[in-house]
Amino acid sequence: MSAYIIRRLLWVIVLLFLVSAITFVIFFALPSADPAQLRAGRQPNPALVEAIRHRLGLDKPIYVQYYRYMKGLVLHFDFGYSYQNNISVKQQIFDRLPATASLAIGAAVVWLIIGISVGTISAIKRRSMFDRVAMGGALVGISAPVYWLGLLSLYLFANDIGIIKIFPGSGSYVPLSQDPSKWFTSLILPWFVLAASFAAFYARLLRGNLIEVMSEDYIRTARAKGLRERRVVLRHGIRSAITPIVTAAGLDIGILLGGAILTESVFNIPGVGRLAFDSIQNSDLPMIQGTVLLGAFFIVLMNLVVDVAYAFIDPRVRYS
Amino acid sequence: MRKLWRLLPLAAIAVLALVAAGCGGGGGGGGSTGGNAENSNTSGKAGGTITINDSAGSIDSLDPGYWYYQTDYEEIGMPTQRMLYGWKPDDTSPRPDIAQGLPQVSNGGKTLTIKIKSGIRYSAPLQSQTVKAADIKYAMERCFAAPVGNGYAFSYYSDIKGAPSKPSAHVEDISGIQAPDATTLVLQLKNPVGVLATGNALGLPCTIPVPQNYAAKYDKGNQSTYGQHQVFTGPYMVQGAGSGTIPKSGYQPAKLLVLVRNPSWDKSTDFKPAYFNKIIIHNGSDPTVAARQVLAGQSMISGDAAVPPPAVLKDLLTTKKSQAVIAPSGGNRYAALNTTVKPFDNINVRRAVAAVLNRNALRQTRGGPAVGTIATHFIPPGMPGFDQAGGNAGPGYDFYKNPNGDVAVAKSYMKKAGYPSGMYTGGKVFAVADNTSPAKQTAEAMQQQLKAIGINLDLHEVPHATMYSKYCQVPKAKVALCPSMGWGKDFFDSQSMIDPIFNGKNIVPAGNVNTAQANNPAFNARISAATSVTDANQRATLYGNLDKDLTGQVYYVTWLWDNNISYGSKNVTVVQNKFNGGAPDLVFSSLK
Repeated sequence: MSAYIIRRLLWVIVLLFLVSAITFVIFFALPSADPAQLRAGRQPNPALVEAIRHRLGLDKPIYVQYYRYMKGLVLHFDFGYSYQNNISVKQQIFDRLPATASLAIGAAVVWLIIGISVGTISAIKRRSMFDRVAMGGALVGISAPVYWLGLLSLYLFANDIGIIKIFPGSGSYVPLSQDPSKWFTSLILPWFVLAASFAAFYARLLRGNLIEVMSEDYIRTARAKGLRERRVVLRHGIRSAITPIVTAAGLDIGILLGGAILTESVFNIPGVGRLAFDSIQNSDLPMIQGTVLLGAFFIVLMNLVVDVAYAFIDPRVRYS
Repeated sequence: MRKLWRLLPLAAIAVLALVAAGCGGGGGGGGSTGGNAENSNTSGKAGGTITINDSAGSIDSLDPGYWYYQTDYEEIGMPTQRMLYGWKPDDTSPRPDIAQGLPQVSNGGKTLTIKIKSGIRYSAPLQSQTVKAADIKYAMERCFAAPVGNGYAFSYYSDIKGAPSKPSAHVEDISGIQAPDATTLVLQLKNPVGVLATGNALGLPCTIPVPQNYAAKYDKGNQSTYGQHQVFTGPYMVQGAGSGTIPKSGYQPAKLLVLVRNPSWDKSTDFKPAYFNKIIIHNGSDPTVAARQVLAGQSMISGDAAVPPPAVLKDLLTTKKSQAVIAPSGGNRYAALNTTVKPFDNINVRRAVAAVLNRNALRQTRGGPAVGTIATHFIPPGMPGFDQAGGNAGPGYDFYKNPNGDVAVAKSYMKKAGYPSGMYTGGKVFAVADNTSPAKQTAEAMQQQLKAIGINLDLHEVPHATMYSKYCQVPKAKVALCPSMGWGKDFFDSQSMIDPIFNGKNIVPAGNVNTAQANNPAFNARISAATSVTDANQRATLYGNLDKDLTGQVYYVTWLWDNNISYGSKNVTVVQNKFNGGAPDLVFSSLK
């Protein structure tokens, strides 16, 4: 297992290297804005544009720029400085990472609880009223755009612009370290909004898997041996049916740790997603690189976590 | 919405797509309709905390030498610093701030002498140090240095003797900026410069004092870091900056800016009332949510969006009218017709385009009459030269006569252009537009309207910044039509409207704001000559006449004079600053 993990970690490095190279190429290949010109004011002196281009290193060939960037990253864990505000990219990303992590992990807890519970009950009580209502609701949840759902939740439940003033609204986020109580209440709406479509999808996925598993021979055997139905479902049914859920959850959490742009925007949560969006708008290459690499890192890391978790969930899986 | 809106140039309110604008009816002139049109009451109650929800990124930089855009002025420049000249909310000419009076002009307009006030102190850690003329000299010199990256010094200060022609690697002494004693600043010019003699271009952030003994060490690198360590002269300072470094509690890029009172500020030396005790600025809000929060909440003011989103605008101008204030922004919107590319190298095709465009319908794409007045020429209302160019009615050209467009007139010009059927018979015309709302809708409306004279646009919609820096402001991109353009004043002098846009000398390979590539030697000479005139009335006449004649050439089809709609919570008296494009003035606004 250790050798497997080490091998996968080495692949993480290779993947991140490739991602950084691709991001660099895309930035220069596609018609993105000229960062030097953006920084030179509205009626720029051509010499000023060139001076800024030189200062940012944009007058060097792309491969030189990439080499310099990677050198700083590999040798000093230095992501460079934002073109936009000349503040360290690493500092800005790490400042915002707790907000994104709070949002993503909290939402994951919500959607796993709801998705697994609803999926399980729907599978067991197949074709019941609960099943029909839950799966109908799940379709709505999957279909509703998160941006629309966010606005709707604010107009309904935010304590500033909502009709029923229950939860803190947009811009109310405070870090956990500053005020745990406010942190929690400020994230209730974003958690549920972000979790809605995931919960719906997971419920449907688990329901389908569980229905299939529950018709397997070994389930029948377990029942024939006199095991209680609860034990049959929880120990034998769900354990087998949940494997795809673990895969999906790992990937989804990894993606969201790289930034949940729409939810962060609607609720004005100063996270990595919003930072990525702004950096793309401003052609801020170092910041784009930093946020893309962060997102890629979390995705491949969560993939690894999922693969390792398989070994514990599914006895058939063994790594050597 | 700069303010995607993130980049709202002070003057180029329009240049950045996030800016929209306010009220005013068609042909209603520079006035405004709806809301409180004037800052009738600028006296307020002292105290309290105000919160601003920005939807765009935030201020562009902490460095006063870089500030140029509307949000920079509104949220940090005016509240935290003092310039040689400042602007009360309704001022249309510069008001002495650090200066004791307007520049004393001598030597045929080539020497300007400015006496400055004594006793103005810096914030901690330089609280024992007062502002000297040498500090303003250094501040102006650093604006020519590449590590600062100032965007206008070469436009307005290049006629100062000894000024470099291109950015210097480091801050260098400029012989024409002299500080013979602590309270006297002298500018020696190569030629008379109207915008300096009137003080207009000295009411810009390059004249915010920067003490060399403190700042020089921060200016040494490739990128100045003075902004993060700056000292303040205004009524407010960034929270926690007294330690000499601005902490995260005071400023986080695109996230938070907190201003608190500056203990070194002496109210008796300043015209600003500075009512609020604290100003908190949050960035990154959703525009619609932010607007609703302001209107429903307490102690909040609209942020960097020049108008609220359409979903909120109607509500604001009907049921919440008392919470809105409206003023002309001093900016306009136009379509740029590239005179070096077919078919717009033909003046009659350009005139046909002006005639066929339904400016009323174009205004509708931004929100209807609320967002501004239909334009008939380039200089917007409230600016010197506006009346001389024909006022609201305009110069009287037939191709600008009908705000709803006139296909018959348009076709008559197409015939003059050599298209007997009145329809363009060439191929598709390359056009690049902003892909964000509402500029996107405007461009698409224009695309439809032009079909009436056979012009089919090959319309490319790209991000705002890309539109400018890769296409419309790059001559070699050969874009024929840029529908989503705009421009605004730097101050109340029409040089900042006419010279950059119409003078052929400003055509450059990148960052070219003369997007039509207008380059008529006779006009170039008239425009350049006007810059040397120091009499304000004469300048207004010259620029007004230029506007009239240039409108006839149709380098640009100006279709809207923008307004700015600001608004606040019920317990807030919002005061707009006309110099700053009608953005809320945080040092004159107050709680009720």
